Amino acid sequence: MSTIAVRAEAGDAGADRRAEAAGPEAMRRRGIDVDPALLTLTSEQEELRGIVADFVAELSGPDDVRRHAAFPGGYDPALWRRLARELGLAGIAIPAEYGGAGGSFTDLAVVLQEAGRGLLCAPLLSTVVLATSALLASGDERTCRQYLPGIADGSVVATLAGTAGRAGSSDTGARREAAGWRVDGTYDFVLHGATADVVLLPAQTEEGLGLFAVDGNAPGLARSARTVLDPTRPQAALRLADVPATLVGPPDEGAAIVDLALDIGRAALAAEQVGAVEHALHACVAFVSHRHQFGRPIGSFQAVKHRLADLLVELEGARSAARYAAACVDAAPAELPVAASVAHVACSEALELAAREYVQLHGGIGFTWEHPAHLYVRRARADAVLFGTIGRHRARLAALIGIGGRELEGDAARD
Amino acid sequence: MTDTGSGVPPPEEFRAEARRWLASVAAPRADAAAWGTGTDSVAVFENWSPEEEREHTDRIRGWERLRYDSGWGALAFSPDVGGRGLPGHYEHLYRSEEAAFEVPRRTEVFPVTQQLIAPAIAIWGTPEQQTRWLPPMLRTDELACQLFSETEAGSDLASVRTRAARDGDGWRLSGHKVWTSGARVATWGAAVCRTDPDVPKHAGITVFLVRMDAPGVTIRPIRQMTGGESFNEVYLDDVVVPDGDRLGPVGQGWRVTQTILAAERLDSGTLGLDNAAAALELAAHLDRPLSGAERDRAAQLFVRTVVQRALGLRVTATLAAGRQPGPEASVGKLHATRTLRETTDLVAELLGPQLTADTGAWGTFAWTEHLLGAPGYSIAGGTDEIQRTILAERVLGLPREPARGAAS
Repeated sequence: MSTIAVRAEAGDAGADRRAEAAGPEAMRRRGIDVDPALLTLTSEQEELRGIVADFVAELSGPDDVRRHAAFPGGYDPALWRRLARELGLAGIAIPAEYGGAGGSFTDLAVVLQEAGRGLLCAPLLSTVVLATSALLASGDERTCRQYLPGIADGSVVATLAGTAGRAGSSDTGARREAAGWRVDGTYDFVLHGATADVVLLPAQTEEGLGLFAVDGNAPGLARSARTVLDPTRPQAALRLADVPATLVGPPDEGAAIVDLALDIGRAALAAEQVGAVEHALHACVAFVSHRHQFGRPIGSFQAVKHRLADLLVELEGARSAARYAAACVDAAPAELPVAASVAHVACSEALELAAREYVQLHGGIGFTWEHPAHLYVRRARADAVLFGTIGRHRARLAALIGIGGRELEGDAARD
Repeated sequence: MTDTGSGVPPPEEFRAEARRWLASVAAPRADAAAWGTGTDSVAVFENWSPEEEREHTDRIRGWERLRYDSGWGALAFSPDVGGRGLPGHYEHLYRSEEAAFEVPRRTEVFPVTQQLIAPAIAIWGTPEQQTRWLPPMLRTDELACQLFSETEAGSDLASVRTRAARDGDGWRLSGHKVWTSGARVATWGAAVCRTDPDVPKHAGITVFLVRMDAPGVTIRPIRQMTGGESFNEVYLDDVVVPDGDRLGPVGQGWRVTQTILAAERLDSGTLGLDNAAAALELAAHLDRPLSGAERDRAAQLFVRTVVQRALGLRVTATLAAGRQPGPEASVGKLHATRTLRETTDLVAELLGPQLTADTGAWGTFAWTEHLLGAPGYSIAGGTDEIQRTILAERVLGLPREPARGAAS
């Protein structure tokens, strides 16, 4: 776990104390030990939020989203370059030595929340979160130098395969030849997999599971885009036959790297989900305040307003869980597995409720193709199973706090 | 203790200092090794006789006095009344340290006195009232209870009928209040009264602090569904109250009441967390493996507790940043009442028949106290439905019910 420790030490001086405090008993009884200040936005983050929100509102409205999703890669490459270069969003949490802004994950979470609010079509989760986290977690400086500057300036789109559990990958294998590594196997449900410039993937080596980087146009790599439930987040199936690859990190660290990248991915997904819940709630409040039936706004009926109050309760709970998970990525790595699973459960459930209410409280208009509500239904259901279902995360939490259950850790990669 | 120049020590230093003081006066809290021993009480409302209530109150009071006298009570209050003048969230910082020590668990009348009534006096009281009331209340020499609800004024609290009529330099109060906890041990009762029946209902209200031992005050216990008597009804029969014991201006009592109710909502954020943790301990110590359904339910309750704690930390952080808490504070009570319900659901699943008949086994039948007490908090301090309406109208800005208030 040496590579993980690199990241943990970078966190803060209290990490040792927290690692000790995060045993099953302590997690069960106390649950949380982070600086409360990390759960609220700084004034700089508020400013960042405003800038990104304006950008998303102007260039990624509901009609734009449909147009962007129809691009071959599922996003508008020109818009992505602007986001990366003008706003510096792609490199916000990448260390300065690799061409990024050297910000924190909580900074990135602010961006993700606003992206999630507008269902922004962009390779944020695949490239900026999963692939970047895997590269940094690997501790492989040479590979980081090779890809991270390109990710930071928007010229490289990368993704991480093998994140979808048992159904996601099979028959993977890597062998060392004189000219370098060759990889075989199939990987499914790979985010932005059909168009990514580089694919990171775990494959079985003689020493264990290793992480490899494969060029998107490598000979022997067949990629087919899947028809997807959520058109704003494309997925692809990859088949590799004797594909040249580069080993990333030690040949037995793949599982640990993917596990950490997945937990960071869950924290990122949670931030996006909070933005989407907020959008749905505000859209519903605006609609029921103006829509009249029986001679009064339908929002004045208690049956309607209490449903929205319940959604507000879920939103604030989800926001708290998402901020806690983001804070753990930066400052409490020992608590991250628990925080990531808690955030995944809380935020997935909140967004599923929000999407349901989005349709229901808009009545007939909410059930039409033209209305954006179904885009949020699609996002909600797809997100909830993207990095492990709610049920599997509950089982993982049960194991982490010592009440039975089964660890999820590693099975994404090892299954 | 060094400080940042404004007299406020940095949080970490404050916490360390609090830990040092606590370690010098209290034992560390017993840990997991103690499972199966000691008290297994998970009562939401204590089932105490009047003697027991007095005894427990005195024990808690002893601790609170030591705290106040040692400079660790009344942290957010001004030094004039024995406080430290620290920002509001330092009380939360202190409490998070205190949680690791064996100290008496405060019954409801203590937070009512220290977190609800005293801050309202600090906002609405005259300088004379603050000098007279705050030190003894913050030291808990004098406890205060809420004389709010009436049989015909529950959720619609502004329709209170208890009359306060001018009589020379003072007032005469007559009416009937219900659901008062701590009435038997309190020195003062904050009474929401009608002083003008001829104006719209919210405008005719004034708040008084009534001495609970004044002639004409009669306290009768209410037996709640747990079988115990944690609440009282209080009859006010021509009780004389000097004008100097009026809190806030005449006719402004609704605003004073709102100050107290808002503090009550804020104070309910940690409600139910101790018992949820106890239910998870039960799940961890069961002498058989959990079924998939039980494990799911336990994990879900754990998710709720983490979320509730994170919500609480956000409130602390907002206060620390010098801002007023927003929705994260007002959603706390609804979150807490659901935690209480889901704790019952988990325990029922885990214990099965042991929850219905007392086998004498430690930590089993005791949960009936939780099961029967939990519904109380979905009613007390503003029902879940009233909380939802407050969120919908005041936070989300949804239109009000058209007919409401038209009759008043």
